[in-house]
Amino acid sequence: MKKMNFDGSQYLNPYLGGVILGTVLLLSFYISGRGLGASGAVKNTVAATVNAIAPKHVEASAYYSQFAGGDHQPMSNWLVFEVLGVLAGAFLSGIIFNRLKLKVEHSPKITSRRRLLFALLGGLIFGFGTQLARGCTSGAALSGMAVLSLGGYITMVAIFGTAFAAAWLFRKNWI
Amino acid sequence: MKEELFASGRNIPNIDPTLNIWHWQIPSYLFLGGLAAGILFFAGVFTIMGKEEQMSATVKKAPFLAPIALILGLFLLFLDLKHKLWFWQLYTTIRLESPMGWGAWVLMIMTPISLIWSASYIRELFPGWDWKFKFLKSFETWVIKNRILIAWPMVIYAVILGIYTGILLSAFNARPLWNTSILGPLFLVSGMSTGAAVILLMSNNHEERKIIGRLDILLIVIELFFITHLFMGDKAGSEAQINAVNLFLGGSFTAPFFAFVVVLGLIFPALLEIMELRGYKVPIAVPAILILLGGFIFRFLIVEAGQMTRYLY
Repeated sequence: MKKMNFDGSQYLNPYLGGVILGTVLLLSFYISGRGLGASGAVKNTVAATVNAIAPKHVEASAYYSQFAGGDHQPMSNWLVFEVLGVLAGAFLSGIIFNRLKLKVEHSPKITSRRRLLFALLGGLIFGFGTQLARGCTSGAALSGMAVLSLGGYITMVAIFGTAFAAAWLFRKNWI
Repeated sequence: MKEELFASGRNIPNIDPTLNIWHWQIPSYLFLGGLAAGILFFAGVFTIMGKEEQMSATVKKAPFLAPIALILGLFLLFLDLKHKLWFWQLYTTIRLESPMGWGAWVLMIMTPISLIWSASYIRELFPGWDWKFKFLKSFETWVIKNRILIAWPMVIYAVILGIYTGILLSAFNARPLWNTSILGPLFLVSGMSTGAAVILLMSNNHEERKIIGRLDILLIVIELFFITHLFMGDKAGSEAQINAVNLFLGGSFTAPFFAFVVVLGLIFPALLEIMELRGYKVPIAVPAILILLGGFIFRFLIVEAGQMTRYLY
């Protein structure tokens, strides 16, 4: 086996990473009865925050009232706790491989500002999309495909297909 | 005073079957009291050991937070009182069996000691400081000369203060979750651990951080043991105690307690501290802040859950 570097340059083999992620997904189903997710945690946090600030708006909103207000407890949700675990795990991995540094990763051809702006724009569009699709890459595509849900496959094809098609337009941000 | 008379012992709003009288002020005070106790304990112990210079954040800097925490905590206790103008009666009624009486007196002793302690280091940390009056200057000289003499009662009272934050709850014999004497030591150890976290945040001396980090790991291990002990003791208790502890072992408090207190507030920061001691580069603020948050949430959960538990059904 190759010797591991602890100078920040070492990354896991992506195929092995995929197998580990799949195992995590299996364990998630086994332990919590639910798959993995990321956008759900953000959605619930947003719903809980809006409910704390403007409960009347939540009550009146057809969207928010599904998750917050009344008897709903948006923060008492598996995904919220799971995302905290993701942060803790990523932090540990950063420490072990000596990669823990505040920085913006971007192509040398663009500025940090441009990178952050595009990340924000992409995040907004993706977040909006996840709510139309009822889940993101992990919640709808990954967890959905794992239980052979047709929606999961369609989401996967749509997310990666669109990204593949649109990549040409935005390629100058990277190469 | 307008009081209501209850003819029945059952169904008293906000008191029975579940208590609903303690809100954010009490757990916040318990956190601040424990934090101050932890900081002053370490400051006193390292002074007695003669390590003021090596442990300067522990002995000199961190204690400045103690009187602020204590005064803020006292103010929160005052906010919680129903008859605020009668607070002074806590000092005129001496009852050895009253935990509030104990608390009032311990705070009455600890707050001035913590103020005097920090004041005696002001000139060292802020060289431009001038005490203006001669009697203040001569008092300062006396305190500086007799620091060890002050450190002894400070350490002893810090332990009493730390234990008292738990005893305040465990003295409630009508609340099965709280009614166990392990809460005193548990709150003491948790308070010491949060005090150590503050010192870690304030210290920029590697050796000092190493000593405090090691102590903190030990405190976390003891705290985990006490938490297990609390749960096992309740599990082996009466039906009421089993029901009380089930709030944390499958009931509605399970997820927040294990996620925020046990994992993110104790095990994960301890792991990070161990990694730091082993030479990994860990931003020490992360475990320190996690321990502080964990201690804060721990008190909120125990106060909230304890009020829901009851003996009669």
